[in-house]
Amino acid sequence: MARILCAWEYGGDLGHVRRIVPIAQELRRMGHEVTMAFRDSAFIESSRAEGFETFIAPLLKLQREMNPSPLNFSDVLLNLGFKDTRGVAGALRAWQSLFDLLKPDVLVAEYAPTALIAALLARIRRVTVSAGFSVPIFSDPMPDLRRWQPSDPNILRALDDRLLATVRHAAGARAQLLPDRAHALFHANAHLLCTFPEIDPFGPREGVEYLGPPADSVGGADIPWLNETAPHVFAYLKPRAARFDAVMAALATLDAEVIVAAPGLTADRATALSTPSMRVVPGAVNLDLVMQGASLCVSHAGAGVPARAMAAGVPMALLPLQLDQFLMAIRIEQTGAAVISNPEQPAPDFRAWFTDVLTEPRFREAAKRLRESHGTHDFGKAATRTAARIAEVAQR
Amino acid sequence: MARIAFAWEMGGELGHAMACNSLALAMRARGHHVAFIFRELHSLTHLPVIAAHDVFQAPVSISEGEGQPLPSSLADILLGCGYDRPQHLAGMLAAWFAIFDRWKPDLVVTDFSPTALLAARVMGLRRVTFSNGFSVPPRLTPLPAFRFDQGVNPEKLAQSEARALATVNGALARFGVAPLRALAQQLETDEDFLATFPELDSYPNRPAAGYWGPRVSFDAGADVKWPAAGGRRIAVYVKQSMRHIDTLIDALAASPHRVAAFIPDLDPARAAKLRSPARIVSERAIKLGPLLRDCDLLVSHGGNICPGALMSGVPQLVFPTQYEQFLTAHRIATLGAGAWVGPEAPVADVVAALDRLANDPSFKRAAQAYAARYPGYSPAEQQRRILNRLDEIIAKPARPSALPSAK
Repeated sequence: MARILCAWEYGGDLGHVRRIVPIAQELRRMGHEVTMAFRDSAFIESSRAEGFETFIAPLLKLQREMNPSPLNFSDVLLNLGFKDTRGVAGALRAWQSLFDLLKPDVLVAEYAPTALIAALLARIRRVTVSAGFSVPIFSDPMPDLRRWQPSDPNILRALDDRLLATVRHAAGARAQLLPDRAHALFHANAHLLCTFPEIDPFGPREGVEYLGPPADSVGGADIPWLNETAPHVFAYLKPRAARFDAVMAALATLDAEVIVAAPGLTADRATALSTPSMRVVPGAVNLDLVMQGASLCVSHAGAGVPARAMAAGVPMALLPLQLDQFLMAIRIEQTGAAVISNPEQPAPDFRAWFTDVLTEPRFREAAKRLRESHGTHDFGKAATRTAARIAEVAQR
Repeated sequence: MARIAFAWEMGGELGHAMACNSLALAMRARGHHVAFIFRELHSLTHLPVIAAHDVFQAPVSISEGEGQPLPSSLADILLGCGYDRPQHLAGMLAAWFAIFDRWKPDLVVTDFSPTALLAARVMGLRRVTFSNGFSVPPRLTPLPAFRFDQGVNPEKLAQSEARALATVNGALARFGVAPLRALAQQLETDEDFLATFPELDSYPNRPAAGYWGPRVSFDAGADVKWPAAGGRRIAVYVKQSMRHIDTLIDALAASPHRVAAFIPDLDPARAAKLRSPARIVSERAIKLGPLLRDCDLLVSHGGNICPGALMSGVPQLVFPTQYEQFLTAHRIATLGAGAWVGPEAPVADVVAALDRLANDPSFKRAAQAYAARYPGYSPAEQQRRILNRLDEIIAKPARPSALPSAK
């Protein structure tokens, strides 16, 4: 029996919690003692209700003014509070106290860079679990996140140096235990990527294990397709997205049957937006069911929905809202099965844009090729396989 | 010896950490084991002796205050700090339960930590408040308003209380714990160390209460002496982020007065502008005790230091940055012992206030008259009495936990 602490520090929304909880349940089934440390108290109830003792993760203060286009992984972290030496020192200290209290044999980091560094200082084994974005490319300097654009290695190195200097200063007398390269701060005994290599924002790459995307742990409403002859368009959208209204308006005019899942929407608004051909659900839906027979999947390119669309061979229209989604969307676009609407550029005519993906055969063909690669992926076993790898590291 | 957890959950000033630290050090000296469970870990590195304590992140809402109207009561503040939904509060409570369950405090000392108080109540832990009173409203139903400069609708107060209470009870139900009848119950303690005096209390309508006097420690920090030059002696303890920082620095630099200033992380250009043989700009916190004996004016934001220095008869110029500080500033102005300048005030007000406070002797007379009402107060005596009372509380028998899993 091992003691395993799962830490989540960064990234909004429920995605991180949904990834880690089923893995933790598997670990517990295997007889291990699992505790959690989450950044957002609003999501603690999701793991507490499953019986996991859940602490709050030490928090860094975000920069007041965030740089919307960080260059490399160091820059991302500098944006997320790593410019503040005192804050990092305090957080490292608090992780150490939590380690003293819980005595974990292994730390599982779900986008938890401070916890990874604290575990390195405490000589605790480390595993990362992610969809790829939170595991940087281990090179010196860490590369530009937008690998397709030219970048100045001196600027990248300066960012790495700044991050490393902050961490070293924050670590105080224990700085001697730290590596002399920024990327090495985030090395681990295993990097478990719960995704497909095609949608790893930095993939395909060496040094990580692709265990495939997990099942949707929360499920959702069963919404069956009703019209057998019309194309089926499924959209998973965030009501807070800037272009939500424009996208909804375009979806409503498509010559298709449309199902929209929009968690966070009020029930009244969902009803008001629904039409005879478009059902709007103010919550999650059963993705297995809705992907069956879908002709187009519209999403923000969060990790979960595109993986489902890939395995089901459904072409995609992607509306990324943030950098990690944009990077993943670029990767999906490279498969030929998707189009991207760049949030920093003027919005397309959404109706024409959707219609294009629905009617151009090349999208269907590319999606079919993805299904051939991944159609047999067993989503339900991904958590078990991930848990088994964590247990191996814990007991090594 | 006992295990003492200090909880600081809301309110954003270093003063919370400093005050807890002073008391914690004294408790350690008595052989107790200390944990800090703080909302801001950044502050810890200002405290040099922290290495001896355990340190944890306090459960907070990361969406704190977003989309909330101006608060008028503690219930309003709670609604903006995770008490909007039972699920959210249940998450914060679960995290407090987890830390208390594992660390096993014998006593929880809370500073603006209503959720820690609720968790401690449920777990049957001994608990006290240690604050200037703003976070400890009189235990009435509904919890009374602290806002006094705008009308507060009594119905609105009752609504906020009802909403926050419904969230509390919704969260408690998730743990199988019986509901509360009123938010006031959440705030029940074994003792309230109201670290102020009635004249400066955020709630002037508080029913009979014990007051312990301001919580300050003026005997730590860099040794500084007033420069030998002429002019008044002005101590300055503000943050660089204050709206009027440049006006204040310019006004002080143009004045004939002596200055001893600590402005954390002050940028070099501003420091160079202020610094002179007559004006000390310290890189570290200053040991204020010796300076206050012949100080003519303290410039601050109205945190603990302000009522603390008032006990030495020092007039006050206050630049409040939030409502709690504004309440202190307003009460000091009412006493005639100081004045305040709000963030929206024109630049001329800063210069005029500084001039008036430096030259009008009535402020010093009022400050000294106030201090003379409490001849028995000193920070050391206040702390000694608090420590003795805490030892009594620790010696009381523990109560059972109401958590079903603990039965």
